[in-house]
Amino acid sequence: MAARPGRGIDWFPYLLLTPAFALVLTIVAWPLFETFRLSLTDAAMKPTENYVGFANYVEIFQDDFGEIILRTFIWMGLSVTLKIILGTCGALLLNAALPGRAMFRILVMPPWVVPIAIGVFMWSWMYNGQFGMISGVAQRIGLLSEPFEFMAYGQSAFIATIVTDVWIGVPMVTLYLLAAMQSVPKELYEAAWTDGASRAYRFRRITLPLIAPAIFTMALLSAIWTFNSFDIIWILTEGGPRGATTTMIIDTYKTAISRFRYGEGAARAVMILVFLTAFSAVYLGLLMRLTRRGGQPQ
Amino acid sequence: MKLKTLALASCAFVALTAGAQAAEEIYFINCGGGDDEFVPSQSEHIAAWEAANPDYTVNVEFIPWGQCQEKSLTLAAAGNPPGIAYMGSRVLKQLAAGEMIRPFDLTDEEAGTYSEAVLNTVRFDGNVWGIPRAFSTKALFWNKDLFAEAGVDMPDGPQTFEDVLTAAKAISESTEAKGYGLPAASFDNTMHHFLNWMYSNGGAVLDADGKVVFDSPEVIETLQFFKDLTPYVQNGPIAYDRGKVEPLFAESQVAMMVNGGWGRFRVGDVNYGISPIPAGPSGDHSTLLITDSLVVFAGSGVEDAAADLVKTLTSVENQEVIDKTGGWTPIRLTAMAEELVAEDPTWEYFISAIPTGGPEPLMLEYVAMQDVINEAIQGVILGEIEPEEAAASAAEELRDLNGE
Repeated sequence: MAARPGRGIDWFPYLLLTPAFALVLTIVAWPLFETFRLSLTDAAMKPTENYVGFANYVEIFQDDFGEIILRTFIWMGLSVTLKIILGTCGALLLNAALPGRAMFRILVMPPWVVPIAIGVFMWSWMYNGQFGMISGVAQRIGLLSEPFEFMAYGQSAFIATIVTDVWIGVPMVTLYLLAAMQSVPKELYEAAWTDGASRAYRFRRITLPLIAPAIFTMALLSAIWTFNSFDIIWILTEGGPRGATTTMIIDTYKTAISRFRYGEGAARAVMILVFLTAFSAVYLGLLMRLTRRGGQPQ
Repeated sequence: MKLKTLALASCAFVALTAGAQAAEEIYFINCGGGDDEFVPSQSEHIAAWEAANPDYTVNVEFIPWGQCQEKSLTLAAAGNPPGIAYMGSRVLKQLAAGEMIRPFDLTDEEAGTYSEAVLNTVRFDGNVWGIPRAFSTKALFWNKDLFAEAGVDMPDGPQTFEDVLTAAKAISESTEAKGYGLPAASFDNTMHHFLNWMYSNGGAVLDADGKVVFDSPEVIETLQFFKDLTPYVQNGPIAYDRGKVEPLFAESQVAMMVNGGWGRFRVGDVNYGISPIPAGPSGDHSTLLITDSLVVFAGSGVEDAAADLVKTLTSVENQEVIDKTGGWTPIRLTAMAEELVAEDPTWEYFISAIPTGGPEPLMLEYVAMQDVINEAIQGVILGEIEPEEAAASAAEELRDLNGE
């Protein structure tokens, strides 16, 4: 802040910034720095730790970390795509002038409101082959000839964890996009309707372009949350079978907490930060290019 | 008046605080819900010790399985360890290597009251790092009615791997049940379950020198046995840990399973028999010996008193009471084992296996080892990898973990 002519530096604005600065330093910067520092050590279940340079990072890439990174992005991509599609559909339905609309808006919330652990345990029972609803119903209608354990096979476990994550994540996307839809001026729809535009045309040419910024913002936020989603996979599969659902966050937890390799775990945590930052930067870069080209994302 | 009241209250507070500080606290983390059968007896033993050691109070906290060990370790890593903690003996090597626990001095007389096999679960590098507190051995539970329905004539139950395969095939093909309940989830008892069969086939994870021998012919044979058994087990065994197999056995959906002594109370109305873990072509009946221990953490400031308390709690007399009330396999070599067998002959299968049983492999990277072995088992069951290849690949990873 520049000094005013004829007066010294005005420290008061800096003083006002101090609490916020201290807060950020304490709860963001210091843990980040400490994680990075730890990632350069061989900290484990022992009283001392030694600096090992970037050995932990080298070690990571000698493991199957590339496979885990790819799996994480596929898991996140599928989950976020489904959440956005279903959330948009849900928002459209809840935005329609239907009787009982308020009630439906409340009814869509439970997956989001119910504590995640409880919701996930409910799904784990449904996925159970012997006693679960999904296998039971599939057998009754002839889709399956015998009980099927969804958590027993890599592909089905992978899909099952995505379905559960989507179930938990869709309500928030729905409500967020519903709010965006409600901010679209009614006059635009009335004018289009007067010109004979169909419902699909109105959605494609009015609703979608105007809520696009909200969709892109929500997609980014959802991607970050999904990337870091731990509890759903941990409760359902603990990363199994045979690592088929091990994402970066699960891998980090297993290394740092289950195996007590704190240094190596911290290196993996740093890699998550790096990948998420890179992903967000690329995503925002693309978004800005699209915005510049078309005035707004099309 | 108010000033006087305040002064009196302050004096009382200071006196109480000083009084409370006079007795040092031993913080004791015990796994479980606190409602286990042995808890009242343990509380009595602790109260007696406190009476004899008025300078100390014991604060026992029960923490559910799944979190209790992690809590102790987290506290220790943060420099605030509990005085005593209940731990699976499998983690002792890692704790000892990290200088987080201190060893016990056992006299020859004290050591002589344990079988070598039990003592080996807590003894390495010439020291005893924990005192065994709870002990389990395993046996094969089999459903007599399903065996009869399938026309399998084995009055003493399956005795060999071949018997198990024959019975499992017959039952799966001629009844509505599956032959065997196989736990194969990504969980500790998947490896434990495998080790029972592996020991009964003469295999091992580590040899006497601590070197990895997981690619031995005996281990490959055991993995092959699991592969051959897979068509006759419940659907999707990788979704099942042992706890989830128990109800399948109790509902006669599977005809056989391996379980500990407590399994006798979880069989529902099943007409069952028990036999030793069947012997493989290269071995003899054996079992996995699992102990949980009481350990004394270093750095709590009350180590000596904590060690004394552990020794008191696990004395021959007190431990016998705990074993009896808890329904555990007797840890020490006392007359109690014979009494139990006289009362309930099925104890014989769990007690007689002790001398020939094998310990949990005491590898420094225990959890990593468990993951490697579980993945080998799962790979074979899923048909993604052949037994020989699974054993070789796992052995290579284990050697890496073992620093070979």
